[in-house]
Amino acid sequence: MMDATVMQKNRVIHVRPLFVRAFVLVCFACTGRVVAIADNLPTVTTFLETHCIECHGVDGEGDVDLQLLASGQEQSAELIELVHHVIDRHEMPPEEMEQPTKDARQRVAGELYKLLAEKTRQTQAPRKQSLRRMNRFQYHNAVTDLFKLRCAVFALPERVARVYADYFDPAKGRLPDTIAVGNRPLGKSQLIEPRLAGVAPFPQDLRAEHGFDTQADHLSLSPLLMESFLSLGQSILQSRDFTEKNVGIWSEFFEAPKKDSGPQSNVVETRLTKFLTLAFRRPVEEETLRRYVSFVTAKRADGVTFEEAMKAVAAAVIASPRFLYIYNADSQIDGAELLDPYSFASRLSFFLWGSIPDEQLLAAAGAGMLKDKQVIREEVRRMLKSKKLKRFCDAFPLQWLQLDRMISATPDPDLFPQFYFSKYRLSMHMMLEPLLLFEAVLLENLPVTQFVHSDFTYRSQQLNKAYAELGLEVASAKPSGPGRLVFQRTSTESMRSGGVITNAAVMTMLSNPERSQPISRGAWLASVIFNDPPKPPPADVPPLPEHAGIETETLTLRERLSAHRERADCRGCHEQIDPLGFALENYDAVGRWRSTYKNGRSVNASGKLFHQYDFANITEFKEAILKEDATFVKAFAKHLLSFALGRRLTPWDNVDVEDIVATTAGDGYKIQDIIEGVVMSPALRSP
Amino acid sequence: MRTTRRRFLRGVGGTALGLPWLEGVAKARSVAISPLRMVQFYVPIGVVRRGFFPGEADHIIPKGNLGGVMKSLGEQNPNQSLKPLDVLTPTMQPLDGLKDQVALITGMDRQFQNGTDVHAQCASCYLSSAKPFEVKDSAWPLARTLDHIVADHVGQQTPFKTLEFSCNNHTDNKESIYFDNISWYGTGHVAPSIRDPRKMYQRLFSTHEINRYKDVTSLVLDDARDLKRQLGQSDKQKLDEYFESIRAIELQLTRLENMKLDLTGIDFEEPTDAYLPRGDYIRLMGDLMVTALQAGLTNVATFMIGPERWDTPYMFDGLFDKPRSHHKMSHNQTVMIDDLLKVDRFHMEQYVYLIQQMMNIQDAGGATLLDNTLFTFGSGLGDGSTHQYNDLPIIVAGGGARTTRGMHFHMSESTPLANLWLTQAHMMGVPLDTFADSTGVIRGYAKG
Repeated sequence: MMDATVMQKNRVIHVRPLFVRAFVLVCFACTGRVVAIADNLPTVTTFLETHCIECHGVDGEGDVDLQLLASGQEQSAELIELVHHVIDRHEMPPEEMEQPTKDARQRVAGELYKLLAEKTRQTQAPRKQSLRRMNRFQYHNAVTDLFKLRCAVFALPERVARVYADYFDPAKGRLPDTIAVGNRPLGKSQLIEPRLAGVAPFPQDLRAEHGFDTQADHLSLSPLLMESFLSLGQSILQSRDFTEKNVGIWSEFFEAPKKDSGPQSNVVETRLTKFLTLAFRRPVEEETLRRYVSFVTAKRADGVTFEEAMKAVAAAVIASPRFLYIYNADSQIDGAELLDPYSFASRLSFFLWGSIPDEQLLAAAGAGMLKDKQVIREEVRRMLKSKKLKRFCDAFPLQWLQLDRMISATPDPDLFPQFYFSKYRLSMHMMLEPLLLFEAVLLENLPVTQFVHSDFTYRSQQLNKAYAELGLEVASAKPSGPGRLVFQRTSTESMRSGGVITNAAVMTMLSNPERSQPISRGAWLASVIFNDPPKPPPADVPPLPEHAGIETETLTLRERLSAHRERADCRGCHEQIDPLGFALENYDAVGRWRSTYKNGRSVNASGKLFHQYDFANITEFKEAILKEDATFVKAFAKHLLSFALGRRLTPWDNVDVEDIVATTAGDGYKIQDIIEGVVMSPALRSP
Repeated sequence: MRTTRRRFLRGVGGTALGLPWLEGVAKARSVAISPLRMVQFYVPIGVVRRGFFPGEADHIIPKGNLGGVMKSLGEQNPNQSLKPLDVLTPTMQPLDGLKDQVALITGMDRQFQNGTDVHAQCASCYLSSAKPFEVKDSAWPLARTLDHIVADHVGQQTPFKTLEFSCNNHTDNKESIYFDNISWYGTGHVAPSIRDPRKMYQRLFSTHEINRYKDVTSLVLDDARDLKRQLGQSDKQKLDEYFESIRAIELQLTRLENMKLDLTGIDFEEPTDAYLPRGDYIRLMGDLMVTALQAGLTNVATFMIGPERWDTPYMFDGLFDKPRSHHKMSHNQTVMIDDLLKVDRFHMEQYVYLIQQMMNIQDAGGATLLDNTLFTFGSGLGDGSTHQYNDLPIIVAGGGARTTRGMHFHMSESTPLANLWLTQAHMMGVPLDTFADSTGVIRGYAKG
């Protein structure tokens, strides 16, 4: 994506015109039966010929040739999807060109979508690599669940919100009004918690740009990392804290059997069968079991104690590829429509629990019950009620909202002295507000539109004070220290507060130390809220001419940045991004409300969303997003699906997402319905 | 010889000092001919052109972020030339007295492939240099990088085929792996670097017990073989990473075991986890690398002096009194050019420190370690503001009598950087016809 600083210097930003994105896509023309548009869809052909082909013909702009599409020769799902997108979103034809009537636009968008749906139904989605290594977070959770540990394995700063007083209990269906919470990476001593001594973690797996840390193509294995996994096996099992007290499966696995429990080899076999099934997430094959049993037998024959022999074998198990990799077991069978039940169970549990399936889920897979949609629904509901859901809350929202960018936000201490207190930064409080809102929406099964605007939010008193004019009623609580922070639920009074877009964390991390960065904010809205990230700039755009003689001090940001939209080759993307960012101009570099800039000029936060909805201020902006709620819901569901699948989405997946949006609309887009929709989608259930 | 080297170094700050002479290693080495090593020293976010390039002192200072310019603002000589390296530019000043050890090579380019971030691509694809869109199914022109291709030939006897160092001590993890790695086993398969000197020390010198993992690895390899049979084609390929990793570890342990006696001759104090000023941190990482090369732990290394982009400021101790972001400064040259020049010079000083360390080590046969190393300084950007992939700043030190030194090679217009990589591959004994987008070798650089 865009280079962050591109946006800071209020200079030129070159983003490739929208259509350029098709360049790569058309290279992968897909196979399958060709449905000639010319035959079936004269509406589309005529539309393309009237409005598109002049620029996007042979050797067309952005390397997009729609001549082929119109004549039915180029039928890739990717191209159809792209054309549908830009017509549906009013991004094409460009504003200065003759515009189709609203009716014609809608009809053609509808036809193109039908064509896309048909195409994806008729042809099989391209097979993707399924094998991916667990990331660091998943490895930590999987080891915890396998041994039923009562302490952490190693420190994980990527789990930002630390729970105090057990506030997170999905079974209750509500997040408490008062919450004690710590910020692991930024708070005082928040990484100190009970964990296994002497265990050194491997480096954190970084999230993909516009993606997640579950993305398969970012999770590879090297000798360095493999050595880590081998030594982790040793150090975990040999930790002085790996004892009966901390290990839930101690007596059923590590403890020497009583004298009267029959031949020891039988005991080992029984124990290993259960353990390996859980660790490998599928029934253990006879030969594999035999190898592991012989491993223990050999150790015993060498005079190693029972406990030590079991520790040694457990250390091997968690270094096995069957433990470390998530994969589709039957991926060699082309044409299989459904994923095998065990692979599906893994996919499901890594999605919602960031970890291996539990015994119940594996049992359901084993009994062939995961083919039954009703059983799947029940399993999802059960998982959503489990405390393990916290792992989902630790992984998904932070990465979706890119809140890790907040960790390094450092507003200028001279301009924003109140951002700093003793040795800490307010970011410690700020980051938690959207995370707690996410947890509340999830636990209380609220509509996902609450992320655009919510009638409540969570604030600590210190955070609330920092909002100045946007302060809310926050019940008094014991003053929170830099470690354990007290957050209170409070009603938002207007659309100026609430939701995930305009909170202080997001506003601060999308500013530079001195001022707000509308283009950063716009790019963030485009990628996070609308899941339509602007592409990186092309290689060959020359710089804009200087605006000679204009004193920048007297201009508003909007005037200073207007140059982006003066040029045709920059305009494509900037018409998309800039208005989004300007809508947030009433929030300064630390998220406080302002009506005027320092130079006295008033803030102009008006604009047009999706080329259709005029807005005058943030309230109308949020209302406009809510008018197009299906667009936001679709974007959100796509983030979820991509997180769950560990890869970028294809047009086939996107058609599934449309179905999820359609089926959850009736009940107001409740978040658990959407999660369930993601789980039930063909994308998740097929290889 | 039992000098406590770290303390020794600390006592005199950054001054160049000889590494201890390793008797055991020397004996082991003297039997064989000392091999040529290769080290890639990577500088992120380009350089200030005016300060680095001869003849550009008066060129225009880029204003702000010229994200899409991607070419030199000033005029470049399109023709090839070869001149003595007589006058050093301000940024190259630290090389004073070492001119006869280095060659400056200017005018080489890489090709940008549209679709991924400029900073991410300039680092991750620096040593790959694949032609745009030639690597299928990837947004990156990224294939197996030079260091691994070379190590396939010269890394067969060393415990570590390659070593990857990164002086990135950021605690936030806001950037993806493409910003922080120049070394790749292949497309999408990163060779992760070590950022923590303590971890590197332990990897190199802590006593590995050869049998520690042996029974475990044979067990899990059987699992991997079973698993492979159940996977589709692309998953099978991906699983090869597992086999390769285990195999590499087994070889590494065996070879380390064989070198055990030699390694006891190394007197290197284990780094602590105490905060080190940036220069000390970089030099400590550098010392580890030089020692690894000297001891024959590896023949090939990559060394990133910092990650690409990564806006988070950090302390350049001794340069500025507040944490600064190299990347942000690079987009504000008109205001911060003097500070940026300090950063460039600071990076050059670290390079020079390592050159001096290598010169102070006697390798087998009377030559120095530097004489037996191709030690390349370079960046994937020719300037941090224009984000140009052309006219890259490249200096190659070392190589002894095998190389032409004390000269400034200026290459004719659009000479690929891959020509240097091909030249180096040949010198390292790899019989390649071409490398990535190369069009030939750097004529006159390699001797004999």
